[in-house]
Amino acid sequence: MKKVAAIFVTLLLSLLLSWQAAWADAADAAKSPRFGSKDYIWGEMLPEQAEVMKLTGDPQRGKEAFRGCRGCHKADAAGKTDGTYPRLTGQHASVIIKQVTEVRAGVRINPKMDPFSSDHAVSPQEIADIAVFLAAAETTRESGKGEGDFVARGQELYEQGKCVKCHGANGEGNAVKVYPAIAAQHYGYLKREMDYIQRGVRGNSHPDMVNAIEYFTQRDIEAVADYLSRLPDHRQSLAERKGK
Amino acid sequence: MRLTPHQICRSRLAGIAFLLPGILLSHGVAQAQAVPLAERLQLCAGCHNPDGNSIILENPKLSGLDAGYIVRQLRDFKSGIRKSPVMSTIIPMVDEKEFPALAEFFSKQQRKPGVAVDAKRAAQGKEIYDEGIDSSAVPACSGCHNDDGSGTDKYPRIGGQNSAYVIQQLMNFKSGERANDVKAVMRAVAKRMNEKDIRAVAEYMVTLKGEPE
Ligand code: HEC
Ligand code: HEC
Repeated sequence: MKKVAAIFVTLLLSLLLSWQAAWADAADAAKSPRFGSKDYIWGEMLPEQAEVMKLTGDPQRGKEAFRGCRGCHKADAAGKTDGTYPRLTGQHASVIIKQVTEVRAGVRINPKMDPFSSDHAVSPQEIADIAVFLAAAETTRESGKGEGDFVARGQELYEQGKCVKCHGANGEGNAVKVYPAIAAQHYGYLKREMDYIQRGVRGNSHPDMVNAIEYFTQRDIEAVADYLSRLPDHRQSLAERKGK
Repeated sequence: MRLTPHQICRSRLAGIAFLLPGILLSHGVAQAQAVPLAERLQLCAGCHNPDGNSIILENPKLSGLDAGYIVRQLRDFKSGIRKSPVMSTIIPMVDEKEFPALAEFFSKQQRKPGVAVDAKRAAQGKEIYDEGIDSSAVPACSGCHNDDGSGTDKYPRIGGQNSAYVIQQLMNFKSGERANDVKAVMRAVAKRMNEKDIRAVAEYMVTLKGEPE
């Protein structure tokens, strides 16, 4: 009975894949296991990710190449306040590279963005350029926030849980370890990603994070998202700490 | 029977096949032959106006388009990659060597905007142009083409463009009939739009200045 179910799920998944991606992409995805598959190892670089990491990005060229992304992520790369499109300003270059190359390989599924970030739309060099441009990009736009009722609870959950170990006390993440910065991100997007990661459907999830967030209720997720969305940009917190 | 280019481009799909022998006769042979720029421009002016601001709404304005973009389109018409019932009859007469000078001429003309006929529809179009459509993940046009539709060397000028022409092109991208878009980006965009979205955005685009500040 279990076997039948497994076959059924595999069939469903492969159907989903062929629907979401063109032939070649599906073949790539089959080569690159996703979270949930026994061959999945978080942090094992895909060939393209390794290739892009070796390139030297140029922010000026990156700004130009980012034009093809502005239609969704907006001209200031601050995304949409309601969280439909995430803020990309100040995200670590290594994280941007990981996300874009993993969307291309079908590890992280993002059918909305796929045709605009695929390998015929953006070259590896352009990914490197865009990544350094975004890491330094500034915006004056505020992030989208939650209701504000459970911010203190959100802080407590975030600081007492394992979250700080990876994402840092100021939500700054870690460029070297490729942990994303999550401070000042839009509430709607934070909530959605935590939900995806908890349910195991974000294909490039860190297994330890899945464990860390396993016991969160929907309310907890909302509280943490609200707290994080209200933190200042991590570069600002760093400057303040240095100033002290 | 001698047809002016104006008559040629006025005629529609079905008429073209019928008119073709006339066109060929009027130009002696269909073979491409380089002719002086001023003379050649008369052939274009019939459909696109002398200053490239076509007043026939089905025909594109060429004014202010990037010269490289124009050359690429002409080459694609010549090779047949881009199909157009009108251009396919015109392009055999033009020699490839003439393309750069023609492109240069039109790229230097000032783009003149038109007017929206339906203000309500234009307002819906503005929303799509500036913000995109979240529910179907249509990116905002302004992202690549700029708020004023002025475009860049990579993304063509679309501000002030004739609405009937824009509708036809977006429908062609949507169906895949037009497939010479770089990186297939416009096909991806148009596939996510329905005809109502397309009509709205075209109604707004015609009002945009097109010329950069
Ligand atoms: C059609 C809209 C669209 C376009 C165009 C687009 N994106 Fe995205 N992008 C999205 C959406 C939607 C998400 C969030 C997906 C999710 O919710 O998981 C996203 C997520 C991302 C992320 C992950 C952010 C994070 O915090 O993990 C990165 C990085 C990114 N996009 C970069 C780009 C780049 C670079 C381009 C241009 C080459 C681009 N995007 C073009 C829609 C788009
Ligand atoms: C073992 C380290 C680790 C722990 C612990 C961890 N995370 Fe993460 N988190 C990550 C990584 C890595 C990613 C991005 C996944 C990837 O590699 O693409 C991520 C992604 C996220 C995202 C989405 C960010 C984006 O831009 O898409 C949010 C939000 C988040 N984590 C919140 C949390 C919270 C809240 C906790 C505590 C319950 C937590 N994380 C615990 C490593 C961790």
